[in-house]
Amino acid sequence: MTAERPIVIADRPKHGEPSQYHFPRFEQNELSNGLRLISVHLPGRELVTASLVLPSGAVDEPSEQGGLSSLMARSLTEGTEQHDAIGLTEAGERLGASLHAEAGWDGTSISVEVPGARLEAALELAAEVAMSPTFPAADVDRLGDERLNDLLQARADPRRRADDGFVNTIYAASSPYGRPSAGTEATVPGLDAAACAALHARRFDPARMTLIVGGDLEGIGGDIRTIAESRFGAWERNSAAESATTPRVKSARDERIVRLFHRPGAVQTEVRVGHVGLARRIPDFHAVSVMSAILGGLFNSRLNRKLREEKGYTYGAGAGFDMRRGAGPFAARCAVNTDVTVPAVQEIIVELEAMRSAPPTRDELHAARDYLVGVFPLRFETPPAVVGALAGLIIQGLPMDELDRYRSAIDAVTLEAVHEAAERHIHTDELAIVLVGDADAILPGLEAADIGPITVEREELPGQSA
Amino acid sequence: MPVPTVGFTDSRLANGLRLIISEDHLAPVVAVNIWYGVGSKHEQPGKTGFAHLFEHVMFQGSAHVGKAEHMALIQAAGGTLNGTTWLERTNYFETMPSHQVEIALWLEADRMGTLLDALSQENLDNQREVVKNEKRWSYDNRPYGSWTEKLLAAIFPEGHPYHHSTIGSMEDLDAASLDDVKAFFRLHYAPNNAVLSIAGDVDPKQISGWVEKYFGAIPANPNLPVALPDMTLPPTLGGEIREVVPDRVPLPRIHWGFRGPIFGDPRLDALDLAGQILAGGKGSRLHKRLVRDEQLAQDVALFSMGLVAGCSVTAGFATARPGVDLVQLETAFWEELEKMTREPVSDDELARAKALTEADELGALQQVAEKADRLSMYATLFDDPGMINSILPRYLSTTAEQIQAVCRDVFVPDNRLVLTYLPVSTVDTTLADEPAAE
Repeated sequence: MTAERPIVIADRPKHGEPSQYHFPRFEQNELSNGLRLISVHLPGRELVTASLVLPSGAVDEPSEQGGLSSLMARSLTEGTEQHDAIGLTEAGERLGASLHAEAGWDGTSISVEVPGARLEAALELAAEVAMSPTFPAADVDRLGDERLNDLLQARADPRRRADDGFVNTIYAASSPYGRPSAGTEATVPGLDAAACAALHARRFDPARMTLIVGGDLEGIGGDIRTIAESRFGAWERNSAAESATTPRVKSARDERIVRLFHRPGAVQTEVRVGHVGLARRIPDFHAVSVMSAILGGLFNSRLNRKLREEKGYTYGAGAGFDMRRGAGPFAARCAVNTDVTVPAVQEIIVELEAMRSAPPTRDELHAARDYLVGVFPLRFETPPAVVGALAGLIIQGLPMDELDRYRSAIDAVTLEAVHEAAERHIHTDELAIVLVGDADAILPGLEAADIGPITVEREELPGQSA
Repeated sequence: MPVPTVGFTDSRLANGLRLIISEDHLAPVVAVNIWYGVGSKHEQPGKTGFAHLFEHVMFQGSAHVGKAEHMALIQAAGGTLNGTTWLERTNYFETMPSHQVEIALWLEADRMGTLLDALSQENLDNQREVVKNEKRWSYDNRPYGSWTEKLLAAIFPEGHPYHHSTIGSMEDLDAASLDDVKAFFRLHYAPNNAVLSIAGDVDPKQISGWVEKYFGAIPANPNLPVALPDMTLPPTLGGEIREVVPDRVPLPRIHWGFRGPIFGDPRLDALDLAGQILAGGKGSRLHKRLVRDEQLAQDVALFSMGLVAGCSVTAGFATARPGVDLVQLETAFWEELEKMTREPVSDDELARAKALTEADELGALQQVAEKADRLSMYATLFDDPGMINSILPRYLSTTAEQIQAVCRDVFVPDNRLVLTYLPVSTVDTTLADEPAAE
């Protein structure tokens, strides 16, 4: 059986002809109380997703109450005027429904996935959660404690320490994005049920919210508009509700620096290199998307090709802009074995500089555009993905035809546009290099490399001997 | 609310390649999925980690494809891709826009047929380093990261094919020569050791034609299948095994392990439902007691990893809240498990667990990638891709008595593995328990 195999396949097939594709068509309506309704009929998708979306989140909360939006959202399912937490969970489970509420930086959502025939009953539960949460004090306190314990875990986990340490390094203290959205050891102990109830009263208003429903709407036992009206129509407007804010985002610095969090004996170093990045609503969004794909998005991106496939330094390297209502972070990221930490950082900086100094090759441009255009239909295979994409438009305040324009806008990105985007948005003189690793092993090489001023954080680690 | 039946065709090429096609035109996407019947259980002593290292090598090029070009071609066609290694098998998969399926088939065929034409020492060395960094990232530099390795090593005796995890030993990887890796490919990577499943927006006739054209000339390996040693095991561990693991963690965590019924045994379905009732969400028994009411734990989980021979691994864990007495936490955990052995679950609990299972199944099967992967799985492990349709009715017909019966078999004192992860600062290492040996 050791006989060599014959050459099997000489001719590489050509690409087939693409069929027409557009983002699934949706209908927009408004209920009597101003609640906006977006419905997407996706034939054959019997597990329906419904999401009630509010375009306010952690970025809109006062900094001394950091984490309140997240805690309030998680507490929504801890009890309503009709059900306690267990009763609510069990009522959902009998429908085969999972009910979930969460807040991110820019938005808050209450979502449910349920077989279509039971959508109406599941929406009844979602409406309860939105309209009449009770915020039981003991349960809110428990969730607060769980968050504090989670912060202990975050400090011990090198990846999470690197992420938190990175944003804490790049943003000025006055910027919300410098802390984790779910709050810190300093803010979470001050949050309670009363604060959650007050935030709910201040923010929730049907006229500011959108109900998005996606799935096979022929199997839901009626017309979606009628069903939504019957479940949410009695919800009264809240004319006092506050609007979303414009986040004030400020960078902490204007020079290159290195911050090293010491982890004695760590076998790998977590690496983050970057700076304050971009907001979602920018004119050159599509050029930035293509540029990011070339730099650190594709498997054969410059960073992954160099650090993984050429050098073997890492299991994977990437880079990207986390675009939010305000300017979110831009970071290149990887985890490398300890002894190559310094060369890995140097390679990353070289690649960032190269991205700025010249346009990409024509092959790189085509690879990135073809991927982003081609993968677009794959992103919207299921109801949660379609509903999530529409929620993103609402939360970011984007035009409702944004997704229809996406593919032609990507296809129109030129070599020059990519180059300009890199020059405009990558600031190699202002890089923060944040490392979580063994300082004793890394520091001598790091100092010799003269990348920038170095701060070493030898922090107390709960549960770990010094 | 019946879950729709998945239709498919099931055929074989002359060289033994099993081809399963499932048509579904709901979205313009197609999943291509190959399961090779080779996993870490097929590795020889001193050569652990080979199946996984090999998964990496499969992306390093073949006769007509350059290094990393596989990814480049798939992504340029708008596709996504990956590969994974498990104890039983290795799989490779792409999800493609419908009009780009042919390129994925050609790429899979080229590496099945001609991988060794392109394999070089340089590429092997490079991927060995990548894999070492994968181990550091996934196991060594991760809090509690060693639990899967420890669980397998304790539940399966030395020498058992499931005793070691897929990542293997770094010493073995260092010792791997180009010839070793070539021999591994020649033995296992053959059409008669593979199942190719294609699900989604396809014309089955056209697909069959392409598969025949690209895969048809690849010769079968007459030396397959590879004989595995006898893998049967006693149904329980035969005692309680305990180990204390000092780790760089702020909160203690207890990991539990049990021998469970093998994958395919209906008793494992019943055990899955027991796991749902015990730890499947906010209203589950363990979550309610440990996390909500007594607030002993930050989180709790209980689930099974189905394996086809010897036993499955049933595993649980709970992360202690700060200052909690671990004896109290462990006692509460056992009490809830023992309750399952004493009395049947309520009709309402069972109905809720089934409704959730049904909705999960509906959600999973609306993704072509999941559909293709399951067809490959049931064909590879059970020679029966039709299990994709029969598994849910099995769950739905499970009774409270069957759940109680399997809990009585599994949740017994002489079938317990207890790994207690403690913050290193709290452990006097001179007094720590010696790792239990079986």
